[in-house]
Amino acid sequence: MSDYELLAESPLGGVEIELDGFTITEVTDKSLVMVALPRDKFSDIESSINKSCGLKLPEMQNSTNSKDSSITLWRLQKNQVLAYFSYEGDDAESHLSERLSAPAYYTDQSDTWAMIRVSGNRSRDVLERICPIDLSPEVFSVGNVSRTVMEHIGTVIYRDGDDSYVLLTMRSFGRSMLHAIEVSADNVL
Amino acid sequence: MIINHPLLGPRDSEEFVYLGSTDLINRPTNWEDEASAEDFYQYQYIRENVAGDHKELWYHEQGDQSWLVVTRNTLTHEITNVELAQDVSRAMGRGK
Repeated sequence: MSDYELLAESPLGGVEIELDGFTITEVTDKSLVMVALPRDKFSDIESSINKSCGLKLPEMQNSTNSKDSSITLWRLQKNQVLAYFSYEGDDAESHLSERLSAPAYYTDQSDTWAMIRVSGNRSRDVLERICPIDLSPEVFSVGNVSRTVMEHIGTVIYRDGDDSYVLLTMRSFGRSMLHAIEVSADNVL
Repeated sequence: MIINHPLLGPRDSEEFVYLGSTDLINRPTNWEDEASAEDFYQYQYIRENVAGDHKELWYHEQGDQSWLVVTRNTLTHEITNVELAQDVSRAMGRGK
């Protein structure tokens, strides 16, 4: 037995940056599991997740919440949803599949993504410099989610509040994304 | 260029990868025939060089990873129609 133990670290070390009207924080209390939807099981899955959690399958670029608001489903592709939910254990996949109890295919992706929340009344001003999709409040509403490119980095953007957005990039691009946001904030604020 | 994705709305062409003419959907199915060599030659190499509306395949790599059939005017770059390649292919009686 070794006399040391390995400690899990979040991709950005729990970064928190407060600026005037703009806050950057790493999201560390969420897990992410991909739920692939086999075509011939669509209706089975729809009824199972409704029964187990009060969830519906979201429309494209939209999300739905479970009855207790702990699980959010994102629809970024036709044949899959991403489950974004409050859970900090290291067995997110079995945790979610038990809760949904639907005949889908689950893949844990929690540790492969860096999740950064940008919030505050200047958040859209900072994001519009790097985000190519239209983030006007009436076009990209609360609950909308989309995958796009920011500063050449593939990014998922989710609006989780009036002035709050969660950006997801591959873990290895987390620092670059953080840098891109900081530079944009520096230019705008 | 902005491509108006049928499911996702307007997207910058930076998110896409260009493949080429939609002729590539029509892969010959007679690969066991002696004569198929000519068909595959046509399929692989012979292209119309259109000056006007051109139907072409674009892949939404940095998005939902769908294949699109985009009708683009090669003279003006105006995009007049965007469809899911899946739907186009099914309408031709191919695939699922």
